[in-house]
Amino acid sequence: MMGGATDTVLAVEDLRIGFPLADGGVFNAVDGVSLAIARGEILGLVGESGSGKSMLALATMGLVPRPGRVAGGRIEVLGEPVTGAPEKRLRALRGGRIGMVFQDPMTGLNPVRSVGSILAESIRRHQGLDKAAALDRAEAALKAVGIPAPRARLEAYPHQLSGGLRQRVMIALALVNHPAVIVADEPTTALDATIQAQILDLLRTRLSDAGGLLITHDLGVAAEICDRIAVIYHGRLVETGPAAEVLSRPVHPYTAGLIAAAPRFDRARPRLNPIPGQPPGPVAERRGCSFRPRCAHAGEACGVAPALEPVGLSADHRAACWHPLPAAGRRVPA
Amino acid sequence: MTVGDAVPRQGLFLRRFRFWRSGGSGRWMLVAGLAVVLLLAIATVAALVAPPPGAFAGSLLERWKAPLEAGYLLGTDQLGRPLLARVLAGMPWSLGIALTAALISVGLGTLAGLAAAWAPGLTRRAILRLVDTVIAFPSLVIAVTVIAVLGRGFWPLALTLGLATWPIAARVVYAEAMSVARRDYVLAAQLAGVGSVTILITHVLPALRPTLLVMLAFTFADMLIAESALSFLGLGVPLTAPSWGNMLSESREYLVEAPWMMLVPAGAIVLAVVALNLVGDGVAAISRRRARDLA
Amino acid sequence: MTRWRAVGDVLLRRVVELAILLFAISTLLFFLLRLSGDPAAVLAGEEADPETVALIAERYGLDRPLMVQYLQYLASTLLLDFGESLRGGLPAIWMVLDRLGSTLLLSFLALATTIAIAVPLGAWLGMRPDAAERKVVNGGVYIMQGIPGYIVGLILIQIFVVELRWLTSIGITSWTSWILPALTLASFLVPKMVRVLAANVSEALREDYIRTARACGATEREILWRHAVPNALLGATALIGTQFAFLMSGSLVTEWIFSWPGFGALLIESVDRLDFPVVQAAVFVIAFLVFAVNAVTDVAFRLIDPRLREQRS
Repeated sequence: MMGGATDTVLAVEDLRIGFPLADGGVFNAVDGVSLAIARGEILGLVGESGSGKSMLALATMGLVPRPGRVAGGRIEVLGEPVTGAPEKRLRALRGGRIGMVFQDPMTGLNPVRSVGSILAESIRRHQGLDKAAALDRAEAALKAVGIPAPRARLEAYPHQLSGGLRQRVMIALALVNHPAVIVADEPTTALDATIQAQILDLLRTRLSDAGGLLITHDLGVAAEICDRIAVIYHGRLVETGPAAEVLSRPVHPYTAGLIAAAPRFDRARPRLNPIPGQPPGPVAERRGCSFRPRCAHAGEACGVAPALEPVGLSADHRAACWHPLPAAGRRVPA
Repeated sequence: MTVGDAVPRQGLFLRRFRFWRSGGSGRWMLVAGLAVVLLLAIATVAALVAPPPGAFAGSLLERWKAPLEAGYLLGTDQLGRPLLARVLAGMPWSLGIALTAALISVGLGTLAGLAAAWAPGLTRRAILRLVDTVIAFPSLVIAVTVIAVLGRGFWPLALTLGLATWPIAARVVYAEAMSVARRDYVLAAQLAGVGSVTILITHVLPALRPTLLVMLAFTFADMLIAESALSFLGLGVPLTAPSWGNMLSESREYLVEAPWMMLVPAGAIVLAVVALNLVGDGVAAISRRRARDLA
Repeated sequence: MTRWRAVGDVLLRRVVELAILLFAISTLLFFLLRLSGDPAAVLAGEEADPETVALIAERYGLDRPLMVQYLQYLASTLLLDFGESLRGGLPAIWMVLDRLGSTLLLSFLALATTIAIAVPLGAWLGMRPDAAERKVVNGGVYIMQGIPGYIVGLILIQIFVVELRWLTSIGITSWTSWILPALTLASFLVPKMVRVLAANVSEALREDYIRTARACGATEREILWRHAVPNALLGATALIGTQFAFLMSGSLVTEWIFSWPGFGALLIESVDRLDFPVVQAAVFVIAFLVFAVNAVTDVAFRLIDPRLREQRS
């Protein structure tokens, strides 16, 4: 058992997920990531598209799509290994011990099956109930996610529901077997802003007795409900720590850049401060810190990849940087 | 394990599904198909110019020779006629009728499709309604009924088949024309006051070229099958003509003694049809790839 | 509630369309007959002498003004009276209806066979379209699509009747007589159905809801049969409707090959002998069947696909 914490529900150790490149090399979309989530805790994995965050999410269930594959490291759910587990065991975990909420509710539900039948299928698979009992549970699950008239809704088809309702159904589907871990991959990105808040709220309440991994590119979303934040860049973690602290006292230049880049509308003349440059694409070999070309603080040492080290603030606030931003008392530029 | 990777979805139901994913293979399909079609074309012309002598009269002494026996490449039939010669002699009939019927079908269909695309509401609906109705009807039944009236022969057959199948082309052309009509350069031409017919000829028709080619290939194949079916039923070309369908019809009596009498014309038909299908699919794959690369 | 109302609307429209259609076809047949020269001469047959022709003309009212004839014709058509067969004198419509049973039963069997073959094969092909063995089978299906159905029938006869002597090929002698004709007729439809299904299955498997199903722990088999195939079949049901007409065409040839007592073979014989009353009756019945089937499948489609239920027409 890894992680060490009392009640670790999801533990990832030195995970590497590789994709073959056209010239024969292998690109590690996820390159040595470690994290641990305890019960009742929500970890936000923040990064741009292509940073490897979605791959990590899929890997927790053993769903890394071909031609990618887990090239190294371990993943454990409630102490049970996911990496290298036989397919049969993985199927028992998926939807049972670990549930996933995907990004696009419009296409994520089978259009020719009723909502109830989709839920019941998962319930019967993992809880072994008969049809009637399964439908009762399904109804309860719909109610728990705040869908009005849940009994009637069981017979509804996905196209009859709005986007927000569909996403609630997806959440219900992920929660219905009371998993220990919920992985949510950009659960609100495809929804209207008003609905977003509701869904996030729902997630926060429902995840109180499970561990949550929230994948997002939106710092605001992470700020809403995450207890801890891990920032990922080009397949590697650059900063981890308590959410409040990482957001108010970022140590890694990338994190600071992300925060500064968020548009602010509380000022008379909002200015955009994007991070200059582009994230690197898939390469077979990495040389040093991936953020170096875009970093204003880069120096000689950055030719060697830094490891995640404590930065001297809270106990578990860490960053991978040779030139961390002066942490104590430093505020994000207004 | 396969989770949906980022392969773009093929949303439309294609008439002939391209089961090889990459369009590059379209090229070799086209080449293979065209090679065979070209060979057949040459053979047909040769047969027209110099009809193989053995095709019509044979010696009873030579009846039912198996293929490769006594120097007959494809064997002989019940009257001692070499099957190779008969197949060649049948080409102008089978392939000729099929091609003519295909041209009539695609020609009429294109006219109707364009008319429907360009006509105002009521006319368009009427044409489309007609098209849908005829398509829903079994084409062989139509053909058979019209033959009852028109009789047998090259032109009646070609006409019948063309008339029975033009709506299929019409529907395809209509759909394509409608999408082309929405393109910017067509709208620009309309706004500039260019006449409708001119637009049709100079803008729409060229854009339809690949579609028409594909249609022609597939229709040719279908007409070949239809003609041979009709001849097989005794309702096609005159019974003395060595069309492949007639050969099949004759072969029925002698399946025991000479099964090759059936297999030879059957093989010819299948070869021609598959070759034409390859041409059609090849052109379709290539033009799809080109469109995708341009998009 | 709305579901049934929508269905009722569609059904009503289809019935009206059918009526108009049958009217149009009857008219067409009427004038088609007159196109081929002197109808009386045609009806009387090739060997008839002038007196017989005149008698026929009087008998069928062919010496009366065209409009009168037309109205009479329409009237009798409404009563399903197409006249008597020129060979044997039986009422044409009875001859056709008598043979309807065998044809329909054969068509139904063929359709069932088609589904039984095409669905598993299509699903299997659609599952991993890139795998080597699938490409080979795909090639086989492609070639099969190039083989006309009646040639398949002839080959089947060659194998099972001539060589192996397991089955007979003439008419209905026992229950085994249905096997080859059903297979032959099915071969008209199978290749296309397989390819369409394979395409649909392959496409369905790339949809997001499959990923959701996986994330809920479904096995590959469940994913294929409970999630992908139902969606794939939906697209294919529309195909079945249009394929019925194709099935009718195929019946003509199949019944001919196997000397089957169906009305397809009757149509062929009648055209050959220029037995027009029977031809008219047969075409009329076929028209009715084809459009009735189309209407039914249209309705069925709406009932099956949940997304269409609410919509009108």
